[in-house]
Order: sequence, then C-alpha cells, then structure tokens
Amino acid sequence: MIASMKYLSIICMKEDRDKLLTALQKCGEIMLCETEDSTHIEPSAGQNMRRMEKLIKDVKPYKEKKPLFAPNPEVTESEFEGDRTNDLVTAGRMEALLKKISETESAVEKDRQTVAQLTPWQDLTVPVEDIGDTEYTSSVTGSAAVGDLEACREAAEACGAELQTVSSDGVREYMIAVSLKGENLSRLFDAGFERAALPLKGGKVADRIRALNESITENNATLMTMNEELKALSAETDAPELLYEQFRAESEREAAPFTETDATVVIEGWVPEDKVKKVEKTVAKVTDAYDLQTRDPLPDEKPPSQMRNNYLTSQFEGITNMFSVPMYGDNDPNPVMAPWYWIIFGLMMGDAGYGLMMVVLGLILKKLMQPKGTTEKLFNVIIYSSITTMICGVLFGSYFGETWHPILFSPMNDPLKMLILTLIIGVLHIFTGMITKIVYDVKAGRVWDAIFDQVSWIMVITGLGLLFLKQTKTVGMILAIAGALIVLFTAGREKKGIFGKATGGLLGLYGVTGYMSDILSYSRILALSLATGVVGMVMNMLARMIQGNVFGFILSLVIYAFGHVFNLVLGLLSAYVHDCRLQYIEFYSKFYDGNGRLFKPFAIQTKYIDLKDDGGKENG
Amino acid sequence: MANIGIVITVCGAALCAILAGIGSAVGVMAAGKASAGVTSENPDLFGKVLVLQALPGTQGIYGFLIAILIMVRVGLLGGNVANLTAAQGWQFFFAALPMAVVGLISGICQGKAAVAAIHMTGKQPDASGKGITMTALVETYAILALLASILLMFGITI
Repeated sequence: MIASMKYLSIICMKEDRDKLLTALQKCGEIMLCETEDSTHIEPSAGQNMRRMEKLIKDVKPYKEKKPLFAPNPEVTESEFEGDRTNDLVTAGRMEALLKKISETESAVEKDRQTVAQLTPWQDLTVPVEDIGDTEYTSSVTGSAAVGDLEACREAAEACGAELQTVSSDGVREYMIAVSLKGENLSRLFDAGFERAALPLKGGKVADRIRALNESITENNATLMTMNEELKALSAETDAPELLYEQFRAESEREAAPFTETDATVVIEGWVPEDKVKKVEKTVAKVTDAYDLQTRDPLPDEKPPSQMRNNYLTSQFEGITNMFSVPMYGDNDPNPVMAPWYWIIFGLMMGDAGYGLMMVVLGLILKKLMQPKGTTEKLFNVIIYSSITTMICGVLFGSYFGETWHPILFSPMNDPLKMLILTLIIGVLHIFTGMITKIVYDVKAGRVWDAIFDQVSWIMVITGLGLLFLKQTKTVGMILAIAGALIVLFTAGREKKGIFGKATGGLLGLYGVTGYMSDILSYSRILALSLATGVVGMVMNMLARMIQGNVFGFILSLVIYAFGHVFNLVLGLLSAYVHDCRLQYIEFYSKFYDGNGRLFKPFAIQTKYIDLKDDGGKENG
Repeated sequence: MANIGIVITVCGAALCAILAGIGSAVGVMAAGKASAGVTSENPDLFGKVLVLQALPGTQGIYGFLIAILIMVRVGLLGGNVANLTAAQGWQFFFAALPMAVVGLISGICQGKAAVAAIHMTGKQPDASGKGITMTALVETYAILALLASILLMFGITI
C-alpha cells in the first residue's frame, strides 16, 4: 500500500526559522519541496564537514583497527545535539598534532639527506670555511667514480692541479682539487670530476654531522610522543566523527528550501497523512506563532511514494525500488511480489545445508554489523529465504551438494522433471501477474480490457499446457483455440479501419512468442539449482579424495569449509540477481509500471555513527 | 585401457571448461578495470560495482559445471569408466559445445555490458539495480546454452 500524502505549508516568524528546521529535521517526516521563489540559508557548514572528513581520513592510521564488520559507535540524540565546543577543541588539537607530525617528519627527512651528503667529508680536519680560495690558490671539492680516477689524475696533472683524497666508499672517491688561482680546470671536469657543494659555514663537517644526528634523535623522540598522544586521543574520542555528522546535519539544513517574506518564512513539503499530527506537534513545540495548512495533492502534481506494508513484505520493498518506485496513487506491487521472490529464491538455492548456513551466517553477521536501512532489509530477505531454501533442499534431497532421500526427486538425477516443475512455477508466476492486472482493470472499470488482454492469454497458455496430458487434450485444444480467437478479434480493437484491426489481431497473436520466452526463462531456476548442487558436490569430492591420512583429513575440513562458503556466496549472488530479473522482466511486465519517486524525508542522516533515540535535548 | 570414445568425451568436457572459462575471465577482467576506475573516484561504490563485476563470472562456472557433469556421467570421477564408442564420444563432445561456445562469447559480451553498467553506476549510484538487470539479460543466453547442454548430455544413452 502507498501512503496518502498531504502538502504541508508552515508559516512562521523569521527568527524561529533555524529552530524550526532543526526540529523538523529531527522529526524526519517531511520531504521539503522547492518552489519558484525558494531560497536557502547561506552555506557554511559544508566546508567544516569536508574538513572533518579529511581529519577522519588522516587520523585513521593512528586509530586502533576496528574489528571486521564492527557496527558504528552509537550516540544518543542528546549527545548529538549537545555543545560542540569541547569537540572542536579536541579536533583542533588533532589537526595541530597531525600538522606538527608531518612537519617534524619532513624535517627529519631533510636532516637525513644532509647527513648522507656530508658523511663522505667527515674526515676533513679543517672547518669548511677554510676550504676555498686563498690569495694564490683555489680549491674545489668534488668526487669521481673509482673507474675515472686515473683519467682525473692525469687531467689534474695536465692543468696543474693537485688532487687530495678525503674518503672513498669504494664506488666514488671524494677529493679536493687544489690549484693556482685562475687555472682552467675544465679538463678535470671533463674527465669525470663532479663538483660537490659543501655548506659554506658551520665549522668542521664532523661536528656538523653530530649536531644533525642529535637533532634527528630529538625529533624522532618528539615524533614518538606526538604519535602516542594522537593515538591516545583518537582512541578516547570520536570527536571528528561526531562533528562531521553535526556539520552534515547543519549543511543539510542550510540546503533546505523555504520562501521568505519580510517578517515570515514559509516551509513547504510532503507529509504522509498520518504523520501530519506529529509534524504539527513538532512545530507547536518550537513556537506558538505559526500557521500550518494542509491540502491534497493537485492533479498535475507528482507526490512522492512511501510504502506501507506489513513487516515481512516491507523487507522486500528495496527490490521493487531498485527497478522502479511505485507511482503515487497506483497500486503497490510488493504484496504480490514478495512471496514469489521468497519462493523462487528458495528454489534457486535449493539445498537444506546452504539454507542452514544462510540463516546462521546471516544472523551472526547481522548481529556483528548491525546494518541499517536497505542493507538490513537485504539481510532479512536472505534470512527469510533460508526457510524456502531449506524446504526445497529437503524436497529435492540436497544437503551440502549430497543427495539423500529426496521427497520429490533429485534435480541432479532427474533434470527433466525439474525443468517441467520450473516451467510450471513460471506459468503460475506469470498468471499471478496477469491476475493482478485483471484485478486492477476490474477495479478501474475496464472489465472488457481484462477479458480481451489477460483472460484470453490465460486461456491460451492453460490450453497449450493441457495439450501435454492425454486426459485433457480435447479440453486444452478448445481452450487454446477459444483464447486465440479472442486475441485475434480483439487485439486490434483500438486500431482504425478494418485493415488496422486485422493486422492488430494477427500481431496480437504473435505475442505468443513473448509468453513462451517468458515461461522458458524460468528454466534458469533449474540451471541455478544445478549449479549450486554440482559445485557443492565437487567440493565434497575434492575433500574426500585427500582424506587418506590424518593430515589429509584436516586439509579436507578446510576444503569443506572454504568450498561451501565460496559456493554459498556465489549461489546467493546468482539467486539474488536472477530472482530480481524474473520479477522485473517476466513478472512486472505483466502489470506494473512504476515511475514514481521515493519519499525521502528531511532527516538526520549519519555515516560514521548511529543515532540512538532518547528523546534528545528538550527544545527550550 | 582408455578407448577413443572416452578421449573424445574428455575433449568435449575440457573444451567446455576452457572456452567458458576464457569468456568469463575476459568479461570479469574488463569489468574489473572499469570497477577500478570508478572505485578510484568514489571508494564508497566498491560494493555496488563488485556485484556488477561478478556477473560475467557465471559462464565459467556453467562451463565447469558441464565438464563435471560429463565426467560424472561417464564415470571419470567415480572410478568405473564407461566403455564408450566413438559415436557416443562425439555425442558428448557436441553436447558440450553449446555451453562452450556460447559461454565464451556471452561471457565477453556480458563483460562489455557490465563495463557500461559500472560506468553508469559511477555517474548515478542509485541506478546500479538497473545496471544489474541490463547486464543479467545477456546471461539468459548462457543459461539457455547450459540447459541445452544439460538436456543433450542426459539424453545420450550409454
């Protein structure tokens, strides 16, 4: 069922606007609408939100790793609405620490590089200031590869320079070339002598290195304490996460559309009819000076759809929404779709052992992750479908891929029987869709359309099916021919002229290929149930092959565990996708259009934390 | 002693696993590249594109399935290998062909459809369900081929 909607306009004083928006957001029952003269609050929180997002990402390496599948931390509403000054200070402290850490790290890195550069010269006994030009000589520091040494010496001799070795690391020789002032040393450089820049000041190189090393040690110690501090800080507080969510809520309030006059603001939006009271109460709590008007949707408006189904059916709503959201004012297909989805999922998995794994693993994962929203519903769909999976497993005698006393028959040994069963399921599924369409048509007063377009085809398909049985052959023939005649004479009824009506009828009969391919499409149930069964069987076979000794036996347990979990995951994925496909293409094409839009209320949405309802801070 | 019928049967089973496996590998590879691109822009979409990437992987499983079913059928896995004539061997060989050939081609094609769907998901994350449907449509033909192979294989008398 789709909830009926009211269009709500709230008029209040300008100064109450922010409080009202906060209250409406917490209430979470109104979907705000833009109008032609809508304005927004000047955005500012978005920047802070992104700042916190960056902080969360930067702090992540320092945070203790959360266990896999851990749920988000829970925060109560009053905590969420509370004062954020302290949190801002903490976040600022974290940012400062992060900045300091990165600065110190780059300082250490720079020092290390200098040390590496200076190390070859540490044996120099003179301070660096004393190297260089004197009155008559000039000296150049530099290095050459060991292989070029001979050439360098020759070149130095040729240009009247003297090479003094300071150190050698086996690859390069570090030297000082001393020559008379004004001597041209280009031949020396050509021979492979490379100039090395030394600091111009700072005393002896060895002293300099010692100082640098001391600074590195010192910086490393600071880094250590800062890392510890940041780790401790991030372990004890969720301030960045909390701030992110607060800024996000604020930024969404800033994006909320409203219309302004000199003294008042108008906030407009859709509210489910049964929630109007709740919204009004929320508004009344904020201020006395308000006016609230409701009206029904206008004919040319397209209100959002909110589904109201019983708990079981509502878990399957996401599947329909993924295809197309039901149109407001149309019928909700979920109540007819949900049981079929449930049954077909079970048939596709079709193994009692896997059904057991689905329910056990599903419940454990749900407990661990505590998923919310659509993910939670998906979990529930799988947990519910474990029931049909187990039933089908017992019926077909399939337990973890092994066949054991099937009640009906085993698809592995009797694929033809299974094929016929799946086709019958397909016919029933499609008939359900057509009957739903008949119900819609009759309700809308289109009885003849229902007979011409749906009943006729049901007759044809039933008739063709009955042809396969000896006892009902004649009945089947009569039914099929009668149905086909109805189609032939009525399918073109909306076309103009005799010619149009005739071709329309013939084209209508051609629709039989569509129905046939729809029905054959259900053979995928057989294919998928066989795929699950056979892969499971192969895993068992592999495990049994190596069960020769104790070691092999232990290894076989690993194969059992991994093999069946792997097969289960693959089977679930295929069953989910192909079950969806059967609903979307074979089933929904018979009666469902969709094209609606989902009711997305103006509410607090969280990413890193889960909000717990505790009434929140009282609005003063 | 192995006879010629078994040799031809094994050829068919092997071909089925090989070709369908190649089809899936190529398809999943293409989809994986696209997924990596989308995920690099928006890491939150990993879960959605992973499902799409996995879709072209089924052909390989179907091919493997037929190969195993053939092995079971002729007793290669049970120990008592059936004594097949060359004609029976060829029957198994051709029964494996639909899955082998269609698995190869549909795996690659589905991979291409998956790439498009992954790009679509990158731009409109809410449309991933539609993308899954579009991609899964290609698989229909792999499933039909699988059925043809299974029915053919079980129809052979030994």
